[in-house]
Amino acid sequence: MFDQAIDILLIEDDPHDVELTLHAFQKQAVSPRVHVIRNGAEALEFFHGTGPYAHRDPEQGPRLILLDLKLPMVDGHYVMRQIRSTRAHRTTPVVILSSSSEEQDLIKSYQLGINSYIVKPVDFDAFIDTAHMIVQYWLSLNRAPAA
Amino acid sequence: MSGIALTFTSGLQRYAFAVAVSACGFALTLVISRAVHHPIFQLAVVAVVFSAWYGGLGPGLLSAVLSAALIAFFLLEPIGSLEVDRGEEILQIGVFLVVAVVVSALSEARHRAERSLQARTKQLEDANRELDAFSYSVSHDLRRPLRAIDGYSSIVLADYGAQLLPEAHRYLNLIRGRVQYLGQLVDDLLSFSRLGRQALNKRALSPSDLVRDALNELKPEQDRRHLDIQIHDLPPCEADPALLRHVYVNLLDNALKFTRGREKPVIEIGAHHMGNRTVYYVRDNGIGFDMAYADHVFGVFQRLDATETYEGTGVGLAIVHRIIDKHGGEVWAEAEINRGATFSFSLTGSTPSHV
Repeated sequence: MFDQAIDILLIEDDPHDVELTLHAFQKQAVSPRVHVIRNGAEALEFFHGTGPYAHRDPEQGPRLILLDLKLPMVDGHYVMRQIRSTRAHRTTPVVILSSSSEEQDLIKSYQLGINSYIVKPVDFDAFIDTAHMIVQYWLSLNRAPAA
Repeated sequence: MSGIALTFTSGLQRYAFAVAVSACGFALTLVISRAVHHPIFQLAVVAVVFSAWYGGLGPGLLSAVLSAALIAFFLLEPIGSLEVDRGEEILQIGVFLVVAVVVSALSEARHRAERSLQARTKQLEDANRELDAFSYSVSHDLRRPLRAIDGYSSIVLADYGAQLLPEAHRYLNLIRGRVQYLGQLVDDLLSFSRLGRQALNKRALSPSDLVRDALNELKPEQDRRHLDIQIHDLPPCEADPALLRHVYVNLLDNALKFTRGREKPVIEIGAHHMGNRTVYYVRDNGIGFDMAYADHVFGVFQRLDATETYEGTGVGLAIVHRIIDKHGGEVWAEAEINRGATFSFSLTGSTPSHV
């Protein structure tokens, strides 16, 4: 049974991006508790409360969802639609962490109700700054309704 | 006629269509001819045009022969009636047949040209879609491994730097520098390729506002230096604001870059009239370049500075060129080594007299 408290749910398929993102969060003064989901199918289990997530309590988070758009099999937009159709996460802040700033991605993502869209910079130092700003803004400054 | 789309799956259908159209045409001809007491051929010509346009040359000819036969049989005076001048009738039918053949050949030719144009348009659309998919995939998949290379190099430097010799630090930093460059190159090439497919959104605007925006975007660079930036009056023009702003960002970025190391850097932004067009220019007193290479500066990947003294991917001026081209204007450069460069552009055509 999955009963950990989560600050950030990271939905990301690329193992290198997962490793580097976790590393960037560990570099923060207060590291957030991050749970990683590595593909769209597992993301659906998480939000539908099936499989390993059968008895997950939405009270335990996440407070923020970081979503990569390019997921194998089930794509980010589909996952986004599922997030917004589950009662517990209809209002959870979702931030897209993407490799690209293609206009078509931006439009579609915002139409599906994301809260922010961030393009991951190539420069890792800049990415550590980005992670810092994400934690500062979404976990400390921002107010979101309770699940 | 081109608005109606008729497609036939078999030759038989095309000929059946010709027969049906000819029959309709003849029925109307019959009614009208009775009313005006004179056989007419105009409707038959229309029937032939329809048959040829939608069915092709064969059905067009069939329609011509059929119409002529029907008119001759039903409308002209029967053979043997003496008061009729047969010569005139034969002439009328002959003229009709000639007109019908020419008309059906012409409409078949026009139809063919239209079909090949449609096929070519579709090919172009397909190619565009493929290009879109390609650049979409490039923007996602090419930057991913670059981030990983830079990330791991950075982690080695930050977490294991103490155990590394200075040379190792240098090499890792060189790797990171080249990765940044490649990332920038990917971004620049993507925006260059996107520009080619983007529609122009022209409206009346004041270039001065765009220059101010562009300078704001380049603010960090200006804050670090003592610059003399002179902005003269810029007459209003018709252009795509986002794209023209891009032009000024690129030209000013270059001017800032190549005046670095100048004791008194001066950048001048202005406009003047040349014949009946307005020419906008950005002038600097930077390192300039040899006019022998003036044609090269606007090409993709063309960097006149082979050393890595000045950062940049060499795509900026190619983007400027493409934007001005899309507006139907012209862009050119005048420069002298160590004396500076002037980049001028107009938003309307005609060759500048002095170049």
